Amino acid sequence: MFPGKEQTKGMTRSMSSFSRFFPLKNLWMGFGFLLIILFFIVPVFRLILLSLTEEGAVSLSNYSEVLKEEQTWITVKNTLYIVIGSTLVSLILGIAMAWVIAYLNISGKKWMQLFIFLPFIIPSYITTLAWVQFFSGNGPIAAVLHMLPGDWKLPNLYSIGGIIFILGLSHYPLVYLLTVEVFRKIPLELEQAAQTCGAKRGTIIRKVILPLALPGICSGGMLAFLSNLDNFGIPAFLGIPANIRVLSTYIYEEVVGFGPAAFARAAVLSILLGAIALIGLSIQWLLLRRSRVIETVKRDKEPRIHLSLTWKRLIEIAVWALLLFTSFVPFVSMGTTSLIKAYGLPFQLENLSLENYRYILFSDPKTMSAISNSMKLAILTTIVSLIVGTAIAYLRYKSPNRWTKLVELFVTIPYALPGTVFALSMIFSWMQPLPGWNPGIYGSIWILIIAYITRFIILQVRGSYTALTQVEPSIEEAARTSGAKPLVKWRRILMPLLLPGIIGGALLVFLTSLTELTVSSLLWSTGAETVGVVIFNYEQAGYTTYSTAFSSLIVLGILFGSFLFISLEKVWRRKVLKQNDSA
Amino acid sequence: MIRLDGISKAYGDVTALHSIDLTIKDGEFIAILGPSGCGKTTLLKLLAGFMKPTSGTITINDTVVASAEAVLPPEKRNIGMVFQSFALWPHMTVYEHVQFPLMHHSFAPKADKEQREERVKNVLRMVGLESLAQRYPHELSGGQKQRVSLARAIAPEPGLLLMDEPLSALDAELRMEMRKEIQHIHRHTNASIVYVTHDQSEAFAMADRIVVMNHGKIEQIDRPEMIFTRPETEFVATFVGKCNLIQGKWEEGMFIPKPFPNEKWPDIGVSINLKKKGLYPVRPDQWALSKAKEGSSHGVVKFVQYQGKEMYYIVQVGEEEWTVHELIQHTSRFQVGDPVNLVLQNTVIKKEAVLV
Repeated sequence: MFPGKEQTKGMTRSMSSFSRFFPLKNLWMGFGFLLIILFFIVPVFRLILLSLTEEGAVSLSNYSEVLKEEQTWITVKNTLYIVIGSTLVSLILGIAMAWVIAYLNISGKKWMQLFIFLPFIIPSYITTLAWVQFFSGNGPIAAVLHMLPGDWKLPNLYSIGGIIFILGLSHYPLVYLLTVEVFRKIPLELEQAAQTCGAKRGTIIRKVILPLALPGICSGGMLAFLSNLDNFGIPAFLGIPANIRVLSTYIYEEVVGFGPAAFARAAVLSILLGAIALIGLSIQWLLLRRSRVIETVKRDKEPRIHLSLTWKRLIEIAVWALLLFTSFVPFVSMGTTSLIKAYGLPFQLENLSLENYRYILFSDPKTMSAISNSMKLAILTTIVSLIVGTAIAYLRYKSPNRWTKLVELFVTIPYALPGTVFALSMIFSWMQPLPGWNPGIYGSIWILIIAYITRFIILQVRGSYTALTQVEPSIEEAARTSGAKPLVKWRRILMPLLLPGIIGGALLVFLTSLTELTVSSLLWSTGAETVGVVIFNYEQAGYTTYSTAFSSLIVLGILFGSFLFISLEKVWRRKVLKQNDSA
Repeated sequence: MIRLDGISKAYGDVTALHSIDLTIKDGEFIAILGPSGCGKTTLLKLLAGFMKPTSGTITINDTVVASAEAVLPPEKRNIGMVFQSFALWPHMTVYEHVQFPLMHHSFAPKADKEQREERVKNVLRMVGLESLAQRYPHELSGGQKQRVSLARAIAPEPGLLLMDEPLSALDAELRMEMRKEIQHIHRHTNASIVYVTHDQSEAFAMADRIVVMNHGKIEQIDRPEMIFTRPETEFVATFVGKCNLIQGKWEEGMFIPKPFPNEKWPDIGVSINLKKKGLYPVRPDQWALSKAKEGSSHGVVKFVQYQGKEMYYIVQVGEEEWTVHELIQHTSRFQVGDPVNLVLQNTVIKKEAVLV
């Protein structure tokens, strides 16, 4: 029953080879750790260093110069107004929507969720373009106002209010997502326990639900805060023409306007922006420090309040009206603008043509080259992230120790930094990787490749890690005690179970890289334009019909890709995982 | 034969296992019994090869398979394992689960396709799943899932079968049925079995020997009867036998209990360890209660619980509370507040002493 003599020999042999493998393994680990520090940490240090250097010597003169200027403080004030205002908008919309979806017995929740996430997968600068068209002189709002009696003025989106409005709308899905999760995880029994103690609905919400939901609401609000702070597209499209600057656009203008001469100033501004982000993060930490994690991890998807049919219908209509108004109609008006021959003409049959599409696709070589650049960048970023990111996630999952935690933190930093700050740090560290040596990475497509990979790899790490945590460790252990060697284990057991999660992460990396604007706007060079940069340049130059046409194409592409993924995942679940529910 | 020599395992500062020595004979059914967190699962994982011991060695048939330097991974060991959570692969049918180790296990008998099909069928018949071969895990009940897990583990005829609380996810009735199943498998495979559990009735029912563990140490290794009637340590006495530990003095082989200094109890095999501490373990069923006069009684009944064929009493004796179980037909029932005397039932003990 136990191995005979020959087999015993085999055991000893494989063991000695295993022990010899150990120091080698440590060597590889050390090498990987070094690479991670080099790619993810060193740039940040170079940025800080540059802000503290004046003609080769350490000094604070950059700071004193920048902080003395009035423009700096106006920008900081604008940034705070806009970020706080838009975060409030996100919070209100997100919490309200989460409560309605988690608590009420309305139907069609699946479709509602899809529409809530729509503004999230479409890049914010495209959303901005759509809203601008929606509120433009030829748009549907203008038409409605024209029909109404009295003299109505169109709201001006090129204002602080406009920026707050669109930022808030773009990032409320973050609040929604985290809040709906905690709402569903609050056990119904807790509410019933309060009821049996005589608490009224209002008391229950105030004393039971809100305190328990606070961690989710805070994390969601914080994510929205950071995203609002980080966002470049919206303040760039709406703020720059109106001379309203926030820190991210101000850094951009400095670098683009004055080149390397302004790098030190830009570095100081970046530290300022980074500091605001850090303050936000610490507030979140302080708020969450004392909150407890809810014990049940079970999600309860059953509605908790049952409305009468009339109320149910009314609320459904209200939700759909809001969702169509925020997620659908603006894109339709963008689509219609893209079909108009010349900007400003009314939307009538004789003014419609596909001329704009013909121009961007066949006449202007920049469009096609941008699509091909962005495709190449996105594919390369996705493949590298897929391999390296999944490897990091697997290590983190298998040995949750100090080192792997540190690696995860390092990999998160480039993504947590505001995009303009990160782009700047990329310039500083790759322009001359070693002092006096310029291999030409900055100024070619290579800087974009490096930047995209370092910035977005965390999305894959998170995606793969989540997928891994959903596979019980014993599933893998069972494969091993059944004799499966590593290759067989991955091919037959782990891969089929992990694939949907990993591909989900990869798709997110792909979509984010494909339409990236913030980082590319600072790192692009002639011949290495990306989709975001070309749309931005069209818009800057006033070619609204071209920018809307290009944006419409991108939106259609994204929707098609997402649809493809969702249906493929459904087929996978049914055919491979044999699950009939798609939940 | 499997031998563990001074096996320790530490996670950072926490030591989960302290220098464990254990020998498992071929074909032996060993149950590892202990409360949660006692290190029994860690021990099982070391036997499987999922991790490396901090010190000590594990030897299988004269080959060292694990030491602080190196470990032979599970896929290269001649083992099968049954998991508490079943650990079924959601994308494979029952048939594929049983077939998987036959194709990949290094120690599975070499077989062609036909022989393999035959073996799968045999194993499925052994666990009563022939008719469900084409089902997927989500189409099975809890008991059926555990049968698949069992079938997968025994299919390659491993030399060592590891079971990690295999029945704790099942309901009471199913557990009794699965015990028979496991005994049946033990008889038909003559594999050694290491069975981890916190349920002593499971250990008593199936094991040849029981290893009682607490705080990462082995408290006692013995046959089930010995564990029950001759506990070595206070922990085994209280955790397994639910004993009352009576304090007193040992004099000339007799025990003088502190609460009743006029009595002398005979030595019925109390361990040296307990003797040194001046303790005498009395299981709740070793007591007999009798009516006493108020003022001259041993104690007073504090709680009464009706349990069908038994009565459970908690009797207050001085500062302590002792547990007494009495068969219902034996005596009259007592009420809360009744003064009672406690008598050690020597006859029963003698019988057991003979049996041992």
